[in-house]
Amino acid sequence: MSWWRKQKPKRYQEDQRTAPVNGVIWLLAALLLVILPHLLRQPGWVVATCLAILTWRLFKEFKGWALPRTVFRLLLAVTLLAGTYFQYRTLNGLDAGTTLLTLMLSLKLIELRTLRDAMIVILLGYFLVLSGFLYDQSILSGLYLLSVVLLLTTSLLVLNHSDEGQSQAKKEYFKRATAILLQALPLVLILFILVPRIPGPLWALPNNSSSGTTGLSDKMSIGDITRLADSDAVAFRVNFTGEIPAADKLYWRGPILWQTDGRNWSTLNRADPFNALTAPPFTHLSEAIEYSVTLLPHKQRWLFALDLVVEQPEQSFLRRDFQLLHKDKINELYRYTVRSVLDYKNSQLLPQERKKALQLPANSNPQTRALAQQWRQQASSDQQLVTLALNYFQYQPFYYSRTPPALRGEPIDQFLFSAKKGFCEHYAAAFVTLMRGAGVPARVVTGYQGGEYSELGDYLLVRQSDAHAWAEVWLQESGWVRVDPTRVIPPDRIEAYEDLQRFTDTRNDKLFNPDTRWLHSAWLQTQRGWDAVNHQWSQWVVGFDQQQQQRLLERLGLGNLNIFALVGIMVLLILALLATLSLYLLYQRQKQREPLQQAYQTLCQRLAKRGVDNAPWLGPKQRCQQAMRKLPKQRQEIKSLFNHYIQLRYTKNQTADAQRAFIQAVKRFRC
Amino acid sequence: MSLSSRLNLARFFNAKGAEAGTLTLTQRRIFILPTRAGVSFGMILLAMFLAAINYNNSLAYLLTFLLTSVTIVSMLHCYRNLQGLQLRARTPQAVFAGETQKLPIHLYNPSSQRRLAIKLGWPKQPPQQVDLDPQQGKWVNLELPALSRGRHPVGQITLYTRFPLGFFHAWSYLHFEVSALVYPKPSGIRRLPEEPFQQQGSEGDRGRGSDDFIGQRPYHPGDSLHHLNWKALARERGLLTKQFGGDRSDELNISWQMLAEQTTEAKISQLCRWVVEAEQSHLRYGLEIPGAHIPIGQGQQHYEQSLTALALYGQKP
Amino acid sequence: MHATIQIILQQLNSVILGKEVQLKLALACLLARGHLLIEDIPGVGKTTLSHALATTLGLKYSRIQFTSDLLPADILGSAIYERQSGEFHFHAGPVFSQLVLADEINRATPKTQSALLEAMEEQQVSIEGETRPLPDPFFVIATQNPSFQVGTFPLPESQLDRFLMRIQLGYPDAVAERRLLSGNSGRELLSKLSAVTTTPQLLALQQQVSQVQCTDALIDYLQALLHFSREAPYFSNGLSPRSGLGLLQAAKAWAFIEGRDYLLPEDLQQLLPHVAGHRLVSQEVGEHYNSEALLKLFQEVPVS
Repeated sequence: MSWWRKQKPKRYQEDQRTAPVNGVIWLLAALLLVILPHLLRQPGWVVATCLAILTWRLFKEFKGWALPRTVFRLLLAVTLLAGTYFQYRTLNGLDAGTTLLTLMLSLKLIELRTLRDAMIVILLGYFLVLSGFLYDQSILSGLYLLSVVLLLTTSLLVLNHSDEGQSQAKKEYFKRATAILLQALPLVLILFILVPRIPGPLWALPNNSSSGTTGLSDKMSIGDITRLADSDAVAFRVNFTGEIPAADKLYWRGPILWQTDGRNWSTLNRADPFNALTAPPFTHLSEAIEYSVTLLPHKQRWLFALDLVVEQPEQSFLRRDFQLLHKDKINELYRYTVRSVLDYKNSQLLPQERKKALQLPANSNPQTRALAQQWRQQASSDQQLVTLALNYFQYQPFYYSRTPPALRGEPIDQFLFSAKKGFCEHYAAAFVTLMRGAGVPARVVTGYQGGEYSELGDYLLVRQSDAHAWAEVWLQESGWVRVDPTRVIPPDRIEAYEDLQRFTDTRNDKLFNPDTRWLHSAWLQTQRGWDAVNHQWSQWVVGFDQQQQQRLLERLGLGNLNIFALVGIMVLLILALLATLSLYLLYQRQKQREPLQQAYQTLCQRLAKRGVDNAPWLGPKQRCQQAMRKLPKQRQEIKSLFNHYIQLRYTKNQTADAQRAFIQAVKRFRC
Repeated sequence: MSLSSRLNLARFFNAKGAEAGTLTLTQRRIFILPTRAGVSFGMILLAMFLAAINYNNSLAYLLTFLLTSVTIVSMLHCYRNLQGLQLRARTPQAVFAGETQKLPIHLYNPSSQRRLAIKLGWPKQPPQQVDLDPQQGKWVNLELPALSRGRHPVGQITLYTRFPLGFFHAWSYLHFEVSALVYPKPSGIRRLPEEPFQQQGSEGDRGRGSDDFIGQRPYHPGDSLHHLNWKALARERGLLTKQFGGDRSDELNISWQMLAEQTTEAKISQLCRWVVEAEQSHLRYGLEIPGAHIPIGQGQQHYEQSLTALALYGQKP
Repeated sequence: MHATIQIILQQLNSVILGKEVQLKLALACLLARGHLLIEDIPGVGKTTLSHALATTLGLKYSRIQFTSDLLPADILGSAIYERQSGEFHFHAGPVFSQLVLADEINRATPKTQSALLEAMEEQQVSIEGETRPLPDPFFVIATQNPSFQVGTFPLPESQLDRFLMRIQLGYPDAVAERRLLSGNSGRELLSKLSAVTTTPQLLALQQQVSQVQCTDALIDYLQALLHFSREAPYFSNGLSPRSGLGLLQAAKAWAFIEGRDYLLPEDLQQLLPHVAGHRLVSQEVGEHYNSEALLKLFQEVPVS
């Protein structure tokens, strides 16, 4: 009746053994690096908790402290869970999920005891690396996290060797982990290219990322674009199929701002039925050009294109005001191809469109309206009115400045009549206000202007600092016409050198100060080189989506295969690769040996084929005698070969030449 | 061979039975399966893949593929860790029942790669870990509790490795054609039989008498302190035992018949104890048991012969 | 110099028939400045060999027959009071020779044995508080009957270690034995021998032996052999560093005799059974291995 006392002898399980200390230390180092970038994004208490637990664990390993009790661990787990919930008000989503994963990982360190626990921590660590990519897909982040993967893999090796560091194989571990990663690379390439990309998302993503993105917005209050002017961040990159158009044609159209309250400008209300209208046909005055844009995620729907788009990318919509919109927000790097006609003429203005293009708040900017009315009297045509306005900007002391004075009261009045210093949005807003005041339909267009040509990558780089605002007016004879009031400001009144450049040339390497020319150009070269690398990275790695995959497959001649054939090819390729790798790994020639020994081995193996004993314990002299007995015809040759070897290996008169001669002689030797 | 016996797992694994000489781990002997950690990692990889799809994140794809490939490559490495390894075992030294026997196994790494974390042990027992440098051979002693007397086959040994990443378990079963000889446990309450069985020999003895000094020899544990050469010790010549001889020799015939009343195993143990004692007191002795008669003799070989006879009593030789 | 070696060997071979290898080994042992233990039954020419060696090399020779009543003083010598001078005068024992044959060493008591062995180890003798150096070169050839004979005191392991090499002579082969039986006996030939070398020449030879080249590759192999002896489950104890050094010296002497100025793995293999044979004890049987079995075991070590 003592069945409960019967205890089976405890069965040994490999993964239940205690994790070796040196392995745990490697693991801690790897974890620290895994968590580090996440810590920059996470609340202070999470950072503190993680670092505290890591430090505690490190001390525990060295000082042999005991693990805390279960109750304590449970309590801590609940506390941290609650903390995360209160922080984000949800446990779902990327931010909360990452925090939770980070905390769980740290918690697991508190109870880590067996090899299995350690392995779990490493597996979670790999997952955390992945969540790092969801935040940042840049090259640097990629390289950093790759090194983290290497470190995690090394920890796995150390843990599974478990000799408590007696063999001093530290370098060996690292070398082996690197070798495994390198050997995996061809496989990775095949998988990356051939695994069919399923367009995501599989489930709706809560878009709660707190990180702000620079870029244009659907509103413009005076002074907004100035904020972007100092940002070096890349907005998008463009590859042209043909020639790059002249700089003054490079207007990358973004949101169109119709509505104004006198100070702020905004796009039409989301519900406005006008938004649903598609672009009208227009007259092409030149050939269409084709180009593809790699757009960095800006968390908005709009896509940037040159005026005017004739062939829009898939899954996008060209509005009546020629703004190109994607069906979803651009949360990932997005690449699209567009065709545009740079010279055009359109000739249809809907009544409601006219009404929207003349909207001005009733009592705002009285002085401006008065001026507009005055010009209306003078001008015989709308065209002349535009010229009057431009002349006003050109001949009055208007300055183009990145640091315009703050405008109070009626901002346009103040800008036009007293401050006379402003950035593009000041000019665009003032110009449109003037036009509308004079009864000419007008609207503000925001977007980017120009770009920087990169010779290395043969593409145009558009930065946030290229953000721009300009105006469009409706002229009876030519339809909507682009007017950029900033362009009329004479160069001597442009304060910043960069701004002077931007309207003249895509190559902004004309220099101010000839003495620093080489330094500056070197810096520019480096910068552009780096950007070219980045561009390739975004194009081929980050932006490698379904379409890019299809394009590549077409180029490889696999374009018209169905998914099963593709998977079949992939499996075959992988098998072939693995077979090659196994051959390499399992039948590796004895590479590590020095060349002399290698040649000697070759000699012995050749003789062994003719029945000469190749036992490893045989010395050269005995071997030589055996071989001479077996192959009496080649006695002399064998004798001289072995004597040569003996001279090289067992006497002190060895020279590199003699060694080379021996190796050559072995190569020539046939039996 | 019928299909069912082909599919018989045990047969598949143990196809060869016990083997003599050196055995080389070839492809047919090595098995490999993912470990529990490997399966978990597979699931994590799947989760990563889903995340990559969901966030449409190329680097997440890349990481997933990298880790998948690393896992696959690690399988090759794990397999390679065992492939080609050469093993052989030596007959373990005989011990008495109740002691621990050591089975020496020689592992030789013929390749030019270091092999790390190769584990060797009885099934379900904590293994011993060996690292082998290129072209290096190593002896490992596997401990084996000697439970009962007799000659026992050493049984199945598992050789396995989870190196490098622990996601795969590559193993091989070894059956060495060596057997372990276990002597009976020397026990019993009876002292070594005295006079009636001791006979006077004609040969003269080897320092077992007490009449004349015939020389000295190095001290062996168990020598009487009365015979110790204290003077030599004082001169730092080491421990020497003085030997005395006479014309009387102690010969003892240890026989089954002396122990009529006991059970077989008790008898064997008692006889074993006597043999041990007789050897320790440098007697000349013989052994008579049913099925074996060992004439009077002395020395290591004789001793082993007697113990082996006792160990194998009632068993097939 | 190699010519000298050839003449020496030739002369020795003319006296002791059919034992070329053993003679070379004995000479190698001498050139390596080690002592030699010959283990064999009486009557196979142990005494003749030592005598021939002494004569050929021009060494001062003395022979000590060990018996159970031999005392240390009989070997080392003693201080004797002399009436005329009224002083103690030291009478040197037979050990003060360049080549000492200790015949049937296992017949003497351990005390006497160790007196000789201590002299061998230290190259000097301390009597009555006075230290007297032994001549240079000093070479002991001890013979030992196989230990199973009655009334012997086998040398303990620690004492065996003092001998660089142990060889067996064995019976001569049929041809040699026939020549032996039909011709003059070795002892008669002995008297006709003349010295080939002088003491300084011999010392020079020894000097040359130590200059035999030895590369790292060979040291690797030697280390592997030593390591194996310590690790393999065949031996109850491994070879000591001193044995390793001895093996290297002996192998160098062998290479020198073979006419080479560099060492080959084969030299180590050749000498290993003779240098290690009396030092390694089988773990199983508790006895020494014979040469072939021992060499076979060491075949597990690959030549690097």
